Amino acid sequence: MEIREENTRFVIEHLAKKYDKKEVLRDISFTFEEGKIYGLLGRNGAGKTTLFNCLNRDVPADGGQFYLVRDGRPRLLRPEEIGYVLSTPTVPEFLTGREFLKFFVEINEDSIPDIQPLDTYFDMIGIEEEDRDRLLRDYSHGMKNKMQMLVNMIAKPKLLLLDEPLTSLDVVVAEEMKQLLRADKKDTIIIFSTHIMDLALDLCDEIVLLSHGELEAVNKENMDSKEFKERILEALKEEEHAADI
Amino acid sequence: MLQTFKIAFRLKNAYRVNGIVFAFRQIPLIGKLVGVGAYRSRGLKLFAGLLAAIWELITVFAGKLLYFLLMISFAAGLYESADRSAVFLHILFFLTILGAFYNTYLFNPTNDKYYAIILMRMDARRYALTDYTYALGKVLIGFLACGLIFGLSAGLPWYVCILIPLFAAGCKLCVAGYGLWDYEKHRKATNENLPEKWIWILGAVLLAAAYALPCIQVVMPEWVFIAGCAAAVAAGAVCWKKAVKFTEYRPMFQELLRSKREGTSLRQVTAKAVQEQNRKLISENSKIVSGRKGFEFFNELFVKRHQKILWKSSVRIAGIAGLIVAGLAAAVVQIPSVSQGLNELLMVFLPYFVFIMYAINRGTSFTQALFMNCDRSMLTYSFFKTPEAIIRLFVLRLREIIKVNLLPGIVIGPGLALLLYLSGGTQEPADYLVIIISILALSIFFSVHYLTIYYLLQPYNGETEMKNGTYRLILWATYLICFVMMQLRVPNFLFGILCTAFCVVYCIIACILVYRFAGRTFRLRS
Repeated sequence: MEIREENTRFVIEHLAKKYDKKEVLRDISFTFEEGKIYGLLGRNGAGKTTLFNCLNRDVPADGGQFYLVRDGRPRLLRPEEIGYVLSTPTVPEFLTGREFLKFFVEINEDSIPDIQPLDTYFDMIGIEEEDRDRLLRDYSHGMKNKMQMLVNMIAKPKLLLLDEPLTSLDVVVAEEMKQLLRADKKDTIIIFSTHIMDLALDLCDEIVLLSHGELEAVNKENMDSKEFKERILEALKEEEHAADI
Repeated sequence: MLQTFKIAFRLKNAYRVNGIVFAFRQIPLIGKLVGVGAYRSRGLKLFAGLLAAIWELITVFAGKLLYFLLMISFAAGLYESADRSAVFLHILFFLTILGAFYNTYLFNPTNDKYYAIILMRMDARRYALTDYTYALGKVLIGFLACGLIFGLSAGLPWYVCILIPLFAAGCKLCVAGYGLWDYEKHRKATNENLPEKWIWILGAVLLAAAYALPCIQVVMPEWVFIAGCAAAVAAGAVCWKKAVKFTEYRPMFQELLRSKREGTSLRQVTAKAVQEQNRKLISENSKIVSGRKGFEFFNELFVKRHQKILWKSSVRIAGIAGLIVAGLAAAVVQIPSVSQGLNELLMVFLPYFVFIMYAINRGTSFTQALFMNCDRSMLTYSFFKTPEAIIRLFVLRLREIIKVNLLPGIVIGPGLALLLYLSGGTQEPADYLVIIISILALSIFFSVHYLTIYYLLQPYNGETEMKNGTYRLILWATYLICFVMMQLRVPNFLFGILCTAFCVVYCIIACILVYRFAGRTFRLRS
C-alpha cells in the first residue's frame, strides 16, 4: 500500500484588522503550501506589513484565525515556528556576530536539525572571517540583514515571513539572498512581501495579491511573462479605482 | 516677492494647522470624536487656523516680553547701587549683540525652510529674503513694543527706546551679512544651533560684560549705545545689500538643511538621538567574553557590555553614601549635640528612605537600556518571545537588577544602623535589624517593581517611542507615593515591619503576574 506524505499547509481564514475606521485587512482567506515561495504583491499601504504583524502576533487581529494543517489535522502555530525578517534589520548590537549565532544555536539546539560549526554558517552567507568577532553594532546594513536572515533560516521555521528584505540590499547581496531562499524552501512556507514586481516574478513560485484588504492568487497558466505582468498590474490598478470611488 | 511671501506663509500655515488637528486627535476622548476626517473639516480647520494666528502673534511678543522682563528689567533691578536706567541699557546692549549670534533666523535650519526650499523647490533667494524680512519685521515690532514698555518704566528717554529695535535689527543683519560672506569665502554654511568655538567664547565675554561689569560700577554711558546703534544700522544697511545680492542661497541651504533629510519631526530626531546615545554605551572592550551557555551567556554579555550604565552609578551612589555615613559617624563621635539630634531623627526617619531609595534606584535606566540595546531587536525573533524564554530571561534580569540596586542598600542599611548605635542606640535591639531589612527590602522592591511593569506593560514601539499611558501613569504614581511617604511620621519599628511586609507581598504578586501574563504582554508595541 502506498503511503502518501501530505504536505503541510498554512491556512488563513477571514483575518481582519482595522485602524480607526480604515479596514486594512478586510477578509483575508488563503491556503499556502509547504515548499513554495509566495510573492505577496501589494501597493504601498495595502497592508502587507499589517498582515505579517498579525501573523507574527505582534498586533492582535480583530477577527479570523490562522493555523497549520498536517495530515489533515489543524493546529495552532507556536511562536518559534514563525520566522519574521524585517526590511530594517534588527540584531542585538551588543553581541558580536559569532556570539549572536552561538546564543541562537544554543537556545534552539533541540529544534535545529543537523547543527553545523558556526563558521560553516558564516561561510554560507559570505561573512568574512575578520568580521565574525566584531560587534553587530558595527556591521553594515547588508551584513545585519544577512545575519537576520541566517538565524531565521537555521531555525527552519514552518512559516517564514519576509517583509521586503531585499529592497535595500546591493545587487550582489540581494542575489546571494535569493539563492539562499531558493535552496532553503523545501520544508518551509515562505511568504515574501514586496512591491517590486520583477523581484517577485524572479524569485517566487506563486504570486498572491493583497488588494481591497483581501488576498487573491494570480494564475500564471497559459500566460507568458509579459501577459502575466499586465494582468498583475491591472489587478493592482483596480484597487486604485476602487479607492477613488 | 509678495507672491513668494504669500506661498511661503500659506505653506507654513497649512502644516501648522494640520499639526494642531493632529494634536487634537492625540487627546484621549476628543481624539475619538475628531477622527481621521478632521483634516477635511472646514470648521475645525478654521478653528485651528485661528489658533495658529494667535500663536504667530505670540511668537512676535511672548519671547521678547519674557526676555525683557527677566533678563534685562529684573536683572537691572538687582544692582541696587547703580542707576537702574543705565544698567538696563548696559545689559540690553550686550545681550542684543549676543542674541544676534544665537538667533540669526537666516541660519536656523528650520522645518519651514526645508519644506519650502528643498521639498517644494521654491526659489531659495526669494524665499530667504522674504522670510528674513518677515522675521526682521517681527523683531522691529516686538522690540519696539517691549523697548517702550520696559525702557520707559526703567527711566530711559523715549528716543533711546525707539532706537532699541533698530539696534537689534542692525546687529542681526551684521551677523547675517558676516555669515553670507563667510560662506562665499569658506563654502561652509553657518548653523546658529551649532556655534563655533569663538562664538561660545564671545558669548561668555558678552554675558560677563552684561552682568559682571555693573557689579564693579562699570556701566556703559548712553552715548555709547547711541553710537553703537548708529554703527549697527549703517553696517546693517551694507549687510542688507549683501543679502539681496547674494546668489548662493540654494547651495548654502542645501548644506544647512542636510540633516533634515533624515527626519523633520522632533520626535524622530529625539528617538534617533536616544538610540545613538544608547548605542554608544555598549563597551568595545574585546576582553569581555562569557563562558556560560544560552540565556546566561546572553545576559552576562549584556551586563558586562553595559557596565557603564548599569554598575557605574550604583558604585558611585554606594561610595557617596559610604562617605556620608563615615562623615556623620565622625560628627556623632566628636560632637555630642549632633549625636542626640541624629538619634531622635533616625528613630522616625525611615519613611524618608522610601523616597531616597526611589531616587537612587537604577530600575528605569536598566529597563531602558534593556529595551534600546536588546529587546527592541530581539522581540522581532519568535524564539525570544516564547513564554519560557521570557520567564527565563526575566529571572536572570531580576537577579541582575537586584544586585545593582542592593549595592547602595548594603551601604545605607547597615550605615543607618551604625549611626543609630553610635548616636546613643536604642533600647530595642530589633530596631537595628528592622532598619537594615527595610532598606534592603526597598532596594529589592524597586528592582521588582520596574522590571515587572516593563514586562507587563512593555511601553515602547520599534522606534523607541513610549506608547503606553498606563506605564507613564504608574511611573508618575510611584513618584507621588514615594513623595507622600516623606510626610509620614511613624516609629521606625512599625514602619519597617509594614514596609518589609508590603515589599515581600508585592514581589510575590508581581512575579506571579509576570509568570502568568508576560508571555502575552512582552511584545513590541505598534
